Amino acid sequence: MKPARFDYVRAESVDHALEVLSQNGDEAKIIAGGQSLMPMINFRLVKPSVLIDINRIPGLEIIEDKGDRVHMGALARHRMTACDATIRRKIPVLHEVMHHVAHMTIRNRGTFCGSVCHADPAAEMPMIVQMLDGEIEIASASKRRVLPAAAFLVGSLVNALEPDEMVTGITIGTSPAGAGWAFEEFSRRHGDFAMAAIAVTLRTDDGRAIRDARIGMTGVGETAMRLHGLETLLEERQLDDLLLGEVAEWLNDNLSPNADIHASADYRRNLSGVLAGRAIRRAHARALEMRTIGHG
Amino acid sequence: MTKPDYSDVTMRPKLVGKRIKRTEDLRLLTGTGEYVDDMQAPGMLHVAIRRSDQPHAKIVSIDATDAFEVPGIVAVFDMSDFEGECEPAVPTSRMKDYYATPTWPLARGKVRYVGEPVVAVVAESRYAAEDALEHIRIEYEALPFAIRQVDAVKDDAPLLHEEAGTNVIIKREFVRADVDEVFRTAAHTVGGTFRMTRKCASPMENRSYMAQWDKRRRSLTLYTSSNIPGVVRDVLSGCLGLSSHQLRVVAPDVGGSFGGKGSLYGEEMLVCLLARKLQRPVKYVADRLEDIAAMSQAFDELIEAELAFDDEGHFLGLRADVIGDVGAFSIYPWTAALETVQVISFLPGPYKIDAYRGRIRGVLTPKPPTGPYRGVGRPSSTLAMERLVDMAARRIGMDPAEIRRRNLVRDEDFPYRTAPGIIWDRSAFRDCLEGACNALDYPRLLKRRDRMRAEGRWVGIGIASYAELTGIGSRISVAPGMPINTGTETANISIDSTGVVTAAFGVASHGQGLETTLAQIVADELGCSMGDIVVLHGDSSLVPMSSGTYASRSAVLGGGAAALTSRTLKAKVLAMAAILMDADAADLDIHEGLVTSRTSNQSMTLREVATAVYNQMGRIPRDQRVDLTAQQTYDPYLGTACSSTHLCMLEVDPGTYGVKILNYVVSEDCGRIINPMIVDGQVHGAVAQGIGAALLEEVIHNDEGQSVAASLADYLLPVATDIPDIEIVHIEAELPNNVGGFRGMGEGGTIGTPASIANALTDALSHLDIGVDMLPATPERLFQLVRTARTSERATI
Repeated sequence: MKPARFDYVRAESVDHALEVLSQNGDEAKIIAGGQSLMPMINFRLVKPSVLIDINRIPGLEIIEDKGDRVHMGALARHRMTACDATIRRKIPVLHEVMHHVAHMTIRNRGTFCGSVCHADPAAEMPMIVQMLDGEIEIASASKRRVLPAAAFLVGSLVNALEPDEMVTGITIGTSPAGAGWAFEEFSRRHGDFAMAAIAVTLRTDDGRAIRDARIGMTGVGETAMRLHGLETLLEERQLDDLLLGEVAEWLNDNLSPNADIHASADYRRNLSGVLAGRAIRRAHARALEMRTIGHG
Repeated sequence: MTKPDYSDVTMRPKLVGKRIKRTEDLRLLTGTGEYVDDMQAPGMLHVAIRRSDQPHAKIVSIDATDAFEVPGIVAVFDMSDFEGECEPAVPTSRMKDYYATPTWPLARGKVRYVGEPVVAVVAESRYAAEDALEHIRIEYEALPFAIRQVDAVKDDAPLLHEEAGTNVIIKREFVRADVDEVFRTAAHTVGGTFRMTRKCASPMENRSYMAQWDKRRRSLTLYTSSNIPGVVRDVLSGCLGLSSHQLRVVAPDVGGSFGGKGSLYGEEMLVCLLARKLQRPVKYVADRLEDIAAMSQAFDELIEAELAFDDEGHFLGLRADVIGDVGAFSIYPWTAALETVQVISFLPGPYKIDAYRGRIRGVLTPKPPTGPYRGVGRPSSTLAMERLVDMAARRIGMDPAEIRRRNLVRDEDFPYRTAPGIIWDRSAFRDCLEGACNALDYPRLLKRRDRMRAEGRWVGIGIASYAELTGIGSRISVAPGMPINTGTETANISIDSTGVVTAAFGVASHGQGLETTLAQIVADELGCSMGDIVVLHGDSSLVPMSSGTYASRSAVLGGGAAALTSRTLKAKVLAMAAILMDADAADLDIHEGLVTSRTSNQSMTLREVATAVYNQMGRIPRDQRVDLTAQQTYDPYLGTACSSTHLCMLEVDPGTYGVKILNYVVSEDCGRIINPMIVDGQVHGAVAQGIGAALLEEVIHNDEGQSVAASLADYLLPVATDIPDIEIVHIEAELPNNVGGFRGMGEGGTIGTPASIANALTDALSHLDIGVDMLPATPERLFQLVRTARTSERATI
């Protein structure tokens, strides 16, 4: 379990990293936290000829409050996301998600942007960018561009980056005022990749009906996803067993999760319905609570 | 306050029984331990191994030409390069119906499982060696194979070892009374098919070997992560054609084994051959992928078993037919009988059962060989038996604790000879059951369960009682029919001229804390202080005959040898002190390194006595002077029962099928406790391992023969969040009839845990009439069981 030979470049700036990237293209890999890349390199599943270390680039290890959006720098660590006061206040669902992300040592190094780039179909951060209108800021030596999350996450472990591009940051939307939230995940052991996970934010109107639901899921498809169809199903509906039955049915009809050694597709479909029911209930209860607080 | 009168020996504080912190922990916890991987030697070479990616195939050709282009490469070897340089290790046995497969350092002619070593690359660094691996081309000709034991056992199945003429390399049957007649007439019978899937022992330190050839002395030293360095020395000297003085096998600090490092491995032979051939030190350290792929594995028996009983719940008869999947080889030295035969040897458990028939067939399949794994065979047999006991209780509407109470061997029946011939000396079978029930207030626990169930929660309680045979002497070998001696242990204890006590043993501590516990025994028996004792172990050169640490033997045998030898040495010390103090030896005693007299105020330190013996010539008459050394061998002859009851309550999430253990108690009788802190640690660790086996861990081979849980991302070990608080009740009943009064206890936790969890899961799902008979009970398995139960429920309505 030793990596193949590679060169190492410590990038001094984003431009420096992009320059080395443009010279090496496919052969080069950016390393930030390295929590997914290093095992792949040690397993020789990935054999970059050049590793470009961006960890010392100033200004990237940052989380910025941009009003109705939050900017995650390329080196924002999971630990920072978990502890950030702005995220806790403005995107509480992300704060809740962080309790399920890996283990302390991994959270200290692993980054938000790195997890999105890695595009693991069972990871939480890709789900967050899908759900919260994430915009991926991409740079190469010659140009800058911004991609919406849905266009960036192409497939399992596949993103839309060109060989000479890197992600310099990601912005995500904050939760609307008065929204309740919940995140439900089940994994074989705490901190493992999700067998299925679902994040929900929603508001309630004066008649307690559901409004503006947003739903993200991970672990049940080729990529993490936002479930627009399910959001539509919930709109203006009262929360009751009938609705949750329809939710489970919708998930059963619309999800095509993979089977692997840990669980069958049937199990994951069933699990999705269970977790969705629990998440929607909790988010709904919180939304009602928010209204009470708001009106109180 | 008056000082206690320690002139009365019985009043003196003893170290045995005290919660003493482990003396080895200072180095182990501060990173100053030395494991094989830490060892460096000038000119040392590194080995990487190309392993088979085929389950069963003929090796047609091996082309390593391109590998030599890699900078740092030194040599590439396959088995043909060692012809004439070594003999295979053959795990012989006196058993009939057994075929001993030979173990070679590398695959010879064909490969028999995915992960089998085929080619060794030697290079200046492990990096270069792994680079070169990628340039080796092996052409295989695929051969047919049967990956499942039910297929491999058939007469027309493709053979893995043609020379054996069959895949069934071991058969055994134990019979007592006419069990079929008992079943014909019994009021009730229950039965099922029980299975613990394959496990990988997964010690923190992977297998690591370093061999050094000494040109001057024409001898070899093997540093190995083994827990049986003595066994390895004995067999390798034969394989390598070295006399035993030319081969020393040392196990330095070893980071756990759990059985996985308790057998001979081809890689150990390999590094020795390479070091001798290349005349340079050679190191090989397995990585995690290699250990999951090729370390000895555990269990994998298919157990069909039935229990007959009467209306009062008395067990009348037990019969079982077992197919053990032993993997591709019979492992050295334990043989394929170790894991498999233990299942039928221990199936009746701690219960009185008059009629029995247990049959086992051990069958070869293209998987890594099974071998020792903490608990050996008994986690499987206990799962089967304890499930049957609960099924019986349920059938007649009896409480699971009560049916056990009625059938556990009673005090008046000890020593009790079980149907397969195991002799249980007196152990607290029933007291352990009561201890567990009292600890959790069983009647209240039942009420709590029922209250939670009333809220719609799936909560269950499970009990498992078992007994294991530990500290086995020379009467029987640890593995049935095995020709090597595992029943004696020798201690060599000497006091040098400065009063330092060096105690050398043949055991090989690999995490059990034996440096501490053996020192406690020596300190008590010899009368010196702990701080003056150096315990040596894990080195084949220390005592004349050694094997290692396995089979819950080291406290009983090593501790017994420590006590006997210390007593002999103490007599010598007192004899010398008597001359020096001009006293009668019978009036002297020694405690914490101070010799005192009952009849005078005279005293001498151990150091003063030692200095007088060795340095101050003339103080002791020449013809009376003796060296302060002793060596004795202890043989407990029979073994001793270690018994326990596990009791737990758990909850199944009806949506996710996740399992949460709410309460866990272990009530156990391990005889006299040497160090309660270490005993508690062993119980905690073994229960954690048992939880892994019950809920998480599974080596999976797909139909193509590939291992698909190949890394720790898929082979799931338990982590802190999976482990509940574990309560421990120590029952110290009548002490066993061995020197120290100790029973072996390092393995027990893994034996009871899977069965208690299976019973608790079954109880939690009792409203659906589901039996959890196969472990691990993964969310997927529970989901399928519930789905099937609900489908058939609907079908019957």
